[in-house]
Amino acid sequence: MILEMSRIRVLGPREELQSVLERIQDLGLVHFVDFAETEALTQLVLTPQQERHLRNVRRVVEDVNTAMRLLGETPAPSRRAAESLTLPRAALIAGRARRALEGLEDRRRQLEEERSLILKFQPFFSTFDKISTSGLDLDGIRIFYLVLRVGGEQELLRLRAALRSALGEGFELFSQPSASGESAMILAVSSVDAKTAEALLSEAAVQPLVLPDQFSEGGAIDTIRRMQARLKDLPRDLAEIEVERKRIASVRGRDLVRIQASLHDHLSTITTMEKAVVTPRAFVFEGWIPSAARADLERRLQKSFGGMIEVETISREEWEGEMAPVVLKNPRLFRPFEAITRMMPLPSYGSVDPTPFVAVFFPMFFGITLGDVGYGALLAAVSLLIRFRSSPNTKPRAVSEIGLACALFSIVFGFLYGELFGDLGHRLGLQPIIFNREEAVIPFLGLALALGLVHIVIGLSLGAVQRFRGDKRHAVGRAMAAVMVILIALALMAAFELLPERFFTPLVITILVLFPILIVAEGVLAPIELVSTIGNVLSYARIMAVGTASVMMAVAANRMAGAFGPVFVGIVFALLFHLINFVLGVFSPTIHMLRLHYVEFFGKFFSPGGVEYEPLRHWSPREGAV
Amino acid sequence: MDGNWLYLSAALAVGIPALATGWAQSRIGPAAAATLAEKPELTVTVVLLIAIPETVAILGFVVSVLILLQGGG
Repeated sequence: MILEMSRIRVLGPREELQSVLERIQDLGLVHFVDFAETEALTQLVLTPQQERHLRNVRRVVEDVNTAMRLLGETPAPSRRAAESLTLPRAALIAGRARRALEGLEDRRRQLEEERSLILKFQPFFSTFDKISTSGLDLDGIRIFYLVLRVGGEQELLRLRAALRSALGEGFELFSQPSASGESAMILAVSSVDAKTAEALLSEAAVQPLVLPDQFSEGGAIDTIRRMQARLKDLPRDLAEIEVERKRIASVRGRDLVRIQASLHDHLSTITTMEKAVVTPRAFVFEGWIPSAARADLERRLQKSFGGMIEVETISREEWEGEMAPVVLKNPRLFRPFEAITRMMPLPSYGSVDPTPFVAVFFPMFFGITLGDVGYGALLAAVSLLIRFRSSPNTKPRAVSEIGLACALFSIVFGFLYGELFGDLGHRLGLQPIIFNREEAVIPFLGLALALGLVHIVIGLSLGAVQRFRGDKRHAVGRAMAAVMVILIALALMAAFELLPERFFTPLVITILVLFPILIVAEGVLAPIELVSTIGNVLSYARIMAVGTASVMMAVAANRMAGAFGPVFVGIVFALLFHLINFVLGVFSPTIHMLRLHYVEFFGKFFSPGGVEYEPLRHWSPREGAV
Repeated sequence: MDGNWLYLSAALAVGIPALATGWAQSRIGPAAAATLAEKPELTVTVVLLIAIPETVAILGFVVSVLILLQGGG
């Protein structure tokens, strides 16, 4: 349901504005709105001093947010009293922590870059081992580090031939394949021939690797040895950075969390101050609060500020045209299904919250479609796993609880259909109670359409109730549409002899009589709307279609067990097919049931456009504010 | 009705709507992907738009089953 909201106006002495806002923030109940200026009341404008203070707070908030991001962990906040952390002190702590952590981050990045650079030369290390054992004297020799791509043997031959024709025997080319398939090559030429070799490499389109600056000096073997040594040292340097980060986290982490929370809170009270209007001595602001909490707010403000603060409720007539923020509040059992409602825009204030209906019909339709004890148990196991791995009040937790409800309905309908992994249930003695879905296609279709009729009629009735508060003629039209849909369904049943045939004529006459009333109430488009509504009911045939497809796939999977020669191979195929069917059996009904709700059901009454309820409250790192 | 015609009718009743659904979804899919790249918040709308043409195939399936059952009965 959507909570009833009250529009309140709070008045008090101007010097208490900041304290009142802080107290209201503690309660976390008031959603502030902009107040229209009048001749006597002017918008509160911050003084240059307050503006400067605001800029300082924003800067410190930026420092602390950056520091916390670089810290990468959120320790429990310190218990140090708020007043012991003045803004200058907080700025000092946050600024120092940010600079230190940014320095560490820069250093870590440099070391990572250095490591990846050295790793490029790693394939040459073993090649150099070859050189050092070959007895080649590298004095006065220029070394080129080359990488030959996979399958570049022809290039190597061409390069070797070109070098031989230009330099004769005055070069050495060592090659060593690396794990990636590329070859690390080292070309050693006399310093005198270096320019010629460079030109030949360029002609052969072989790009030599350039040594990092810190390794560019000294002999080649010495360079490689220094690289090897550095590669060994780098993990130690990186570990030192991590130790330093942990030290900052343990020394300053708790203070930073405290500063972050208190400054975010402070910032939101300052920005909320700008929504107030003032006289030289008083302030006034307006906001929304759940009606049930209004008395509590007044009592607590009275307790904190004595008789200085006045809270008055603004009559509904004064805010009739405005949209109150929307708070959805449902019983614990229905609450996870708010996630489905919230995938659409919020319902407007004063309209119907569809969550309770979604909570009943969504898992029920899902269960009727999947309807298998085995798949239901599997879904329950997956949902429980997600539930244990998720935190309360998060989307994964809501999804797991919806999954559990769907699994429960699937198991119940699985027993009613006598299905356990398809027809395996029948073989194990599980008998269908209502019907066997493999054979009873028409009864299943009838059940699906009957459910569609009930769902659509409920939607139309909700639409009628909702419109009754405003446009009564349209409300009558909606109710009439619901009655017409029922009458048409009954007439069709009489025509197909599902009801006694004698009912057919009276039902048709009643429909013809009501038809003009429907047109008067809903307009000339009413007949088209009625046909579309009947189409909506037929759309529920998908429950039967998707359900039948699912059970047939399961039956096919079971038949695989004996269809592939050795039983073991057949069982593996059957299990694989069941797994695919389970994934499809969960995904497909979910999409189709969402569609039935959003398009067919919500279309009859849902009125989107609600404003999100965002009260002034304390900041928390997890959701921004709590 | 002759058995062959019955099966052909049932196949056409589900086959033609399925092709139509496939064609419609092939047009919606790329537009949906492009929309989601720019506005991920429209995921629900996009999923619904993709699911809407499936009604045609589902009703085709229902009609096909009815043809087979009527013919068989």
